[in-house]
Formats: sequence, C-alpha cells, structure tokens
Amino acid sequence: MSSEAAHVSEPMTWQQICERYPDEWVVLVEVDWVNDTDFEFQSARVAGHGKTRKEPLIQARPLRDKYESMGHFFTGRIRAPVVPLIFL
Amino acid sequence: MKITRFDTNDDLIIVAARVWGQFGQKRVSLALDTAATQTLLVPDVLDELGYSVRDGEKVTVVRSAIGAEAGYTIRVARFAALGFTSSDFQIHAHDLPEGIGIDGLLGLSFLRQLNYEIRSAEGRIVVERVDGPG
Repeated sequence: MSSEAAHVSEPMTWQQICERYPDEWVVLVEVDWVNDTDFEFQSARVAGHGKTRKEPLIQARPLRDKYESMGHFFTGRIRAPVVPLIFL
Repeated sequence: MKITRFDTNDDLIIVAARVWGQFGQKRVSLALDTAATQTLLVPDVLDELGYSVRDGEKVTVVRSAIGAEAGYTIRVARFAALGFTSSDFQIHAHDLPEGIGIDGLLGLSFLRQLNYEIRSAEGRIVVERVDGPG
C-alpha cells in the first residue's frame, strides 16, 4: 500500500482493525475516542498501515490537511525489548 | 484525580499520549518507564508533526545495556498523557526497535509533576497532579 495514494477505510472497531492488519502499524483518523486518557474508541478509519513504524505515517501524509488529529498504533502484542530501555 | 487504564496482557505498561505540532496532533503509544529519566519519542512521529532535527536543542546519548546511541532533545508545543498536559515540553528524540510496538517512553521528566499509583493487577494508573511552584 505504501506506493498507493492515501486511502481511508470504512469505520472499524479496534478488533476489526487488528484482524485485518495483524502485527502492523496503523494510522487512524476519525477516531471516536471514549475519553482523553485511554486507547479505547468506538470506531476509527484506517488511513495507512504497514510493517514498519514509518510506512503508515507516510501513507497518511496527504491527509494532514483534512485530519488535524491522527492515531499511530501497533496492532500486535506489545513485547518487552530484550534489553531494558534504561535512559540515563 | 484521573484514572488511566492499560492492558495487563502487554509485556509493558502502555499508555496513550498526545503530541501537538504544526501539522496537527498525534495520539501514540508510550511505555510508562520509571527507570527512564526522560520522555522519549521516535523521530518518525516528530517528523510527521512538523518537527525536525534542525529544531533540536542539543545532541544526547541514550545508554542501555547494549551500548549508547545518539539522538537529540526538542521542545514540542504541547504534550499530554495520563490526563494531564504540559506545554513547551522537552522530548528526547531517539529511535527504538520496531518490533516492540511502541512510539516511545513516558519517563520521569513528565511523571515527576504527578503523584501516581500503578495498580498492575487491575490495569489502572491513578494519577493526581502535584501542586507547587512551576
């Protein structure tokens, strides 16, 4: 999808997004957040997806003027790094 | 007092954060890390918000168990997490491994302005801002 023009999906739940784009990074727009602090939302449209962190960000770039707010999330399981992320 | 929920199935405590820049706002996933003195974001996300290394304040070095890696500090217009917002907030821009599924770390540079209780078994963080100078 990285070479295609920006395409926005139909509204989907997080579960549907995870099933359609397993273990991928996604950029979400038109997110119907439940509140300001959590990840929960009713539905969202996918504006980009890919195996790398950067891929969906680039795909969604043409939509920046249209969508002031976007979400950037990973659909797979969050895994602890092999070494601790200590920052001195 | 505010409550933030997290998924107890994840290996890390992941919270949502919001960052503002000239190209809008992004909501991202950060690992809450009380061992990190600084709050960290990957450069890819900062770039998409309109920041660049040219806006950086100084070059920094992240040290971990596997060595040291260079990055830079930068001030973002607005940053929010755990229900609280900071303006002109300093972020450390550094890359992280792709496979862990996060965009950065929520470190003590943000957390120290708060009192918080991490209730790991319940998947909840109870937070209140500390009133004081600054």
